[in-house]
Amino acid sequence: MVFEVMVGNKACATGAKLCRVQVATAFPVTPQTTITEYLAEFVANGELDCEFVNVEGELSTQVVVQAASRVGVRTFVCCSGPGQLYMHHPMHGTASARLPVVMATVHRSNRGMQPDHTDTMSQMWTGWIMLECANNQEVLDTSIMAYKIAEDKRVRLPLDFAYDGYILSYTAEPVEVPDQEMVDEFLPPYEPVTTNLPEHYDIEAVRRGMSAPRRGGGAPGARRDRQAGWRIAHETILNAKEVIKEVNEDFGKMFGRKYGNGLVEEYRCEDAEAVIVAMGTIASTAKAAIDKLWAEGKPVGLVKLKCFLPFVSEEFQRIGKNVPALGMIDRNICMGWGGMVFSGIRNSLYDVEDRPKVLQFHAGMSGKEVMVADIMKVGEKTLKVARGGKVEPLVEWV
Amino acid sequence: MSERITIQKIPLEEMTITPGSACQGCGPALASRLTFKALGPNCIRHGVPSCPDSSTLTPRGGAVFEGGGAALTGTSRALKVLGKEDVIAVGFFGDGGTYDIGFQGLSAAAERNENILVVCKDNEAYMNTGNQRSGATPLYARTTTTPIGPKGRGKPRPKKNIPMIFAAHGVPYVATASVAFPADLIAKVLYAKKTKGFRMIIINSPCPTGWRYDPGDTIKVARLAVQTGMWALYEVVDGQKFKLNYRPKELRPVGECLSAQGRFRHVTEAETAEIQKMATDNWARLLKLDDAGEILL
Repeated sequence: MVFEVMVGNKACATGAKLCRVQVATAFPVTPQTTITEYLAEFVANGELDCEFVNVEGELSTQVVVQAASRVGVRTFVCCSGPGQLYMHHPMHGTASARLPVVMATVHRSNRGMQPDHTDTMSQMWTGWIMLECANNQEVLDTSIMAYKIAEDKRVRLPLDFAYDGYILSYTAEPVEVPDQEMVDEFLPPYEPVTTNLPEHYDIEAVRRGMSAPRRGGGAPGARRDRQAGWRIAHETILNAKEVIKEVNEDFGKMFGRKYGNGLVEEYRCEDAEAVIVAMGTIASTAKAAIDKLWAEGKPVGLVKLKCFLPFVSEEFQRIGKNVPALGMIDRNICMGWGGMVFSGIRNSLYDVEDRPKVLQFHAGMSGKEVMVADIMKVGEKTLKVARGGKVEPLVEWV
Repeated sequence: MSERITIQKIPLEEMTITPGSACQGCGPALASRLTFKALGPNCIRHGVPSCPDSSTLTPRGGAVFEGGGAALTGTSRALKVLGKEDVIAVGFFGDGGTYDIGFQGLSAAAERNENILVVCKDNEAYMNTGNQRSGATPLYARTTTTPIGPKGRGKPRPKKNIPMIFAAHGVPYVATASVAFPADLIAKVLYAKKTKGFRMIIINSPCPTGWRYDPGDTIKVARLAVQTGMWALYEVVDGQKFKLNYRPKELRPVGECLSAQGRFRHVTEAETAEIQKMATDNWARLLKLDDAGEILL
C-alpha cells in the first residue's frame, strides 16, 4: 500500500490497472483524455498486460468492449459528456446481452465543457448500473468494487461509475493505492458465464434446435413472452442493490474503507431535523456546509447518494421516516420534467405514511460553482420547511 | 495471391442451416453458403442489421449497424488475450454495413490492421428495408429512394469504389468476388483464411427482389455483371500487388447486363452509353494494373 498524490483520471486508470483489465479502449475527450494517456503509458511501460485499442470514436469503444466481453475477457472503457451520448446506441446492447463491462464516465455537461450530470442521466434507460464518486480515493475504490459487482453471477450487468470532470479529473488529491496482491485476492480473474468461442459451440445441438419447425416467426423466443427480457433486466438490476451492499462491506473488511452501506452514505443524519441529498462532488462540499450548520445549532444531515441506478427507494423510505423534510440538490435536469433524483425520491416516498416534504434545488449545471454558502442556504431552507415554515419558491436554482 | 482451384475442390460440407429465411434466388444467401464452406467451423461470425441470408453453424455475435469494424476488433483482441488466434473473427455484412453506416469503423479497423476478415455481400442497395439506395447502388439504378419520374432518373451518382478505397489503406488483402464464380470466391476465402491482418472480400450478390429479375436468373445476372466489366474480379495484396482474376479477350456490352434487370428498364441509349464508357474506362485502368502486377499511384 502506497500513498500517491494523483488526479482523478490517474486514480481511475490505476484502478483499471489493479483490476488487470484484459481489453481496454477509449477515445480522447476532454475531460476524460488523460485516462486514455495513463492507460497507454501503463501498457507501454509493461505495467499492464492488456490489449489497449485506440479506436476512432466512442461508439466503437463501446462496441469493442461489448464484443470482447462476449468472448469472455475483462474489459474497461471510459468516456465523457458528448462521447457518452455518441455511444448511447450500443450501450443498450451491452446491457441486454448481460455483459459485465465496466465504464468510467468523467462528467461533462451536454451543454458546454464543464461538468454536470446530464451526460449519464441521458443514459438512464440503457439498463446500466450507475454509481457516483465524490473524491479521487472513491474513484479508485469504486473501480475495483465495480468489477466485483458487475461480474457477480447474480448481477452480470454493465456498470458505469462517474465522477465530476475538472473538479476531480484534473485535481490532485492524496490517494491510497492498494497492494496488487490484495486486489487480486478481492477480485479473482474473470470467469465468464457465457462465451461465443467455437470450442463451446455445439453444432449438433444447434442443428437439432434449428431443424424443429418454429411457430410464430423466426426470431428466437418469438413464441415466448416478448416482454420477458425487459422484466428480467428490471428485476436483475433491482436485485443488484444487495450485491452492491455486500461488495461494499467486503471491500471495507479488506481495505479498511467503505462508502456508507454502498448505496447511500449518511453524514450527521442522527438527530437531524432535516436532510439534504446530493451526488458527486457537491456531496463533498456539502459535508463542510453540514458541519457549519451544526456549529450554528442547525441540525441538518447529509445523504450522499452513491448508487443512482438501481434507484434506492428503500433507503429514502427509511430516511424519510425520520425527518419531516428532504432537500434534493440535482446537478441535472430533464427539461419539462425536473431533476431526476428529486422525482425519484418523491416517487419513493409516496407510499410512506407521514411522508416528508421534498424540496428541489438545481445546482452546478454546466459547471456552475457550488459554494459551501450555497449548500448552507439549501440546508436552512429545508430546515425551515421541516419546522413547519412556508417557503417560496418551491423549486430553486442555486 | 489466391491459389486457383477448380469447382470440384469446393468443400462438400455445408455450414448453412437450411431452410433459411431468404428470398428465392437470393445472391447473398449463396455468398454466405460458399464463404462459410471455405471458412469452416472455427470462426466467430459477426453480423450487423442486414437481410437474413443464410444462417451458419458458427457461433455468432451481433453489433449495432454502425459497429461492424469495432465488433470484429473487440472479438479479435479478446481472442488474442486468450491465446486463441486460430479462431477467425469474421464479419458478414451487407453493403450498408460496409459502404455506408459501417464505413467509419471499418476504415479505422483497416488503418489499425486488425486481425479480422470482413466479407461484404454486396446487393447494391438497402434490401432489408425494401430496396433503398446505398453507396453501392450503381448509376441510374432505380430504387425506392431514387425513383423514376419527370425529375428522377434513378441514382444520379456511380457506385462507391470500396475495394480500391480499402486497398488504399495498405491492408494485407482486398478482393472482389461474385456468386457466379464460386471457385474464384472460395479460392479467395481460403487465401484470406490463412492470411493475418485486415482482410476484405466484397462479393457481388444479385438480389432478384430489388434488381427486378426472375429468381432463377441470379447466376446469369451475376455472370453478366462480370462479363460486361460492371463488376471486375480482382485481388490486391498489401495494397500493392494486383491481379485480375477474370480477363476475357473482350468485354460484352453493358446493355446485356442492364437489360436483364428491371431496375435499369428506364435507362435510355445515351445513359447506357454513359455506363458503357465508365465500364470501359475502368476496365482499361484495371488492365494496366494487371499488366504491371501492381497498383500504380
